[in-house]
Amino acid sequence: MTPVPALPPVIAAHDLTKTYTFHQQTAGLGGALKSLVKRKYETRLAVDRVTFDINRGEVVGLLGPNGAGKTTTLKMLSGLLYATGGELEVLGHTPSDRRHDYLRRIALVMGQKTMLWWDVPAMESLLLHKDMYGLSTAEFDRNVAELAELLEVEHLLNVQVRKTSLGERMKLELMAALVHGPEILFLDEPTIGLDVVAKARVRSFLADVNRLRGTTILITSHDMDDIEALCSRVMIIDHGRLQFDGGLDDLVRTAQPRKLVRATYATPVDGTRLAGLDGVTAVDVDGQTVKLEADRERAGVVMEQLTRLGPLVDLDVADADVEDIMRDLFLRRSTLGDAS
Amino acid sequence: MNTVVRNLRVVRRMTAAEIAQQSVYRGAWIIFMLANICMPVISLLIWRTALANGAKLPVDERYITTYFVLLGFVTMATSSWMAAFLANDIRLGKLSSWMVRPASLLVKFVANNLSEKFLKLFALVPMIGIVWWIFRDSMNIPADAGRWALFAVSIVLGAVLVFTIDILIAALAFWMDDVGALVQARVIIASVLSGAVVPLALMPAWSRGFVDHQPFRYTVSFPVEIVAGQLTGRELLAGLGIQLGYVVVLGALARLVWAAGIRAYSAVGA
Repeated sequence: MTPVPALPPVIAAHDLTKTYTFHQQTAGLGGALKSLVKRKYETRLAVDRVTFDINRGEVVGLLGPNGAGKTTTLKMLSGLLYATGGELEVLGHTPSDRRHDYLRRIALVMGQKTMLWWDVPAMESLLLHKDMYGLSTAEFDRNVAELAELLEVEHLLNVQVRKTSLGERMKLELMAALVHGPEILFLDEPTIGLDVVAKARVRSFLADVNRLRGTTILITSHDMDDIEALCSRVMIIDHGRLQFDGGLDDLVRTAQPRKLVRATYATPVDGTRLAGLDGVTAVDVDGQTVKLEADRERAGVVMEQLTRLGPLVDLDVADADVEDIMRDLFLRRSTLGDAS
Repeated sequence: MNTVVRNLRVVRRMTAAEIAQQSVYRGAWIIFMLANICMPVISLLIWRTALANGAKLPVDERYITTYFVLLGFVTMATSSWMAAFLANDIRLGKLSSWMVRPASLLVKFVANNLSEKFLKLFALVPMIGIVWWIFRDSMNIPADAGRWALFAVSIVLGAVLVFTIDILIAALAFWMDDVGALVQARVIIASVLSGAVVPLALMPAWSRGFVDHQPFRYTVSFPVEIVAGQLTGRELLAGLGIQLGYVVVLGALARLVWAAGIRAYSAVGA
């Protein structure tokens, strides 16, 4: 049997680098006058030799603290920024060339910027996209109907955009971004400012788009629920460098190799002897409740010991919260960065 | 689909939507246009008074009258107000949402320009009609339809020229924090050198060479001169050639500066 050749990645970045040059100005009139005569320019390395591939149909989370370089990376991928160094190919194109055939196949949604016309109904913006992307009427009508149903926004299409709520507007933004059927969707903080119901709807829609259309999605978000709900793979960027690239489970295992265990008993127990167990840390005994952290590999042994402590009422074993893991990770790196 | 055709379709769609949006503010358009025609009418009255009191001018009353009656219309038809808005979009990163879509980044501004001019025409033309009727006996009104056709062509070229100059100035925002002062300087310089304040025919003799060949003349004065002045056929064709030359040269320059600017774009904010 002839082996099927592997499909090339839709995004291939090699040593991708971006530097910004800016001038510094001291606050106040003195600083302003001084900067009139002499300016001090500085160069900041925003993205530092980042290398990765993304395959068709993947949903990848790009994570990192503020100023880490994730949005700059997204801007280079979508063609907004020229890379200072390295190689970048998306769908066989150099994004910064901004060729029609490239722009026709991607979409970028920025949670804090709008693509929609503010003073007219969203349908006007959709019709504008019909002309812009050269969609046939049949294709346009089919896409609008499908997306409106998935997003439940049929009743909003003829309402002035500025009269819609933030959540409704984001749904309409997504609709405008997807009406031409892009192969890659870049999302920058798509759920920022939304309430829990709207967030859940947007996540579910994005999952549907990926499943039904095979759209590759690259998303930056500070909301770990977005990442957990959507991404099979995460890339962590910090100080401009790619610090982690792998599955979310791998991230949890790497960053937090211990399980969190909470056991509740019918009567008070003496849990202090658990502290001596191999692979157990941070034991906290409070009357009838024992909380501890155990190495994944030793979790079975620890469970067995817990059942022997007393009459067990409840046992809860969990991975650390992704949000907590990210916070610890960023704090650790920030401290290391400050120290160095 | 051809890029030009696609962009034209987008401009048509956006212009229609802009007209629909802006027609709400009909009162504002009337006030705008009233202001637009007031200055030429006041100037006209001042210069006619000067002539009536024996002032020696290189042009006659018919030229002055025709010039100022047409001035409001030509100034409006060739005007552009995009420089400050485009510079702002560059500075604040608002260009980003257009850059990821397959259309010219300028379609929004072209559509805005066309739609506002379309609406302004409705307010301005009746006003000019009234002034025209009042001064109809002391105006040069060419009977030759060809001259009116050249007047129309020259207005279109003038509008493109002003738009191009605006792109050039706004594109500097890719490198400069604020181009507000430049935009203001352009407005002041252009108002004098385009003939919008004083007819260029009244400029001192020693400045003629410069005044007649600088680009701003071709944004307002030259189209008006086609109707009001006594330009010979040769002068007319030479003028149109120079106007077209400015459009091509400044257009090419704007394209170069814009392309270099896009490389320097920092897409700030989100």
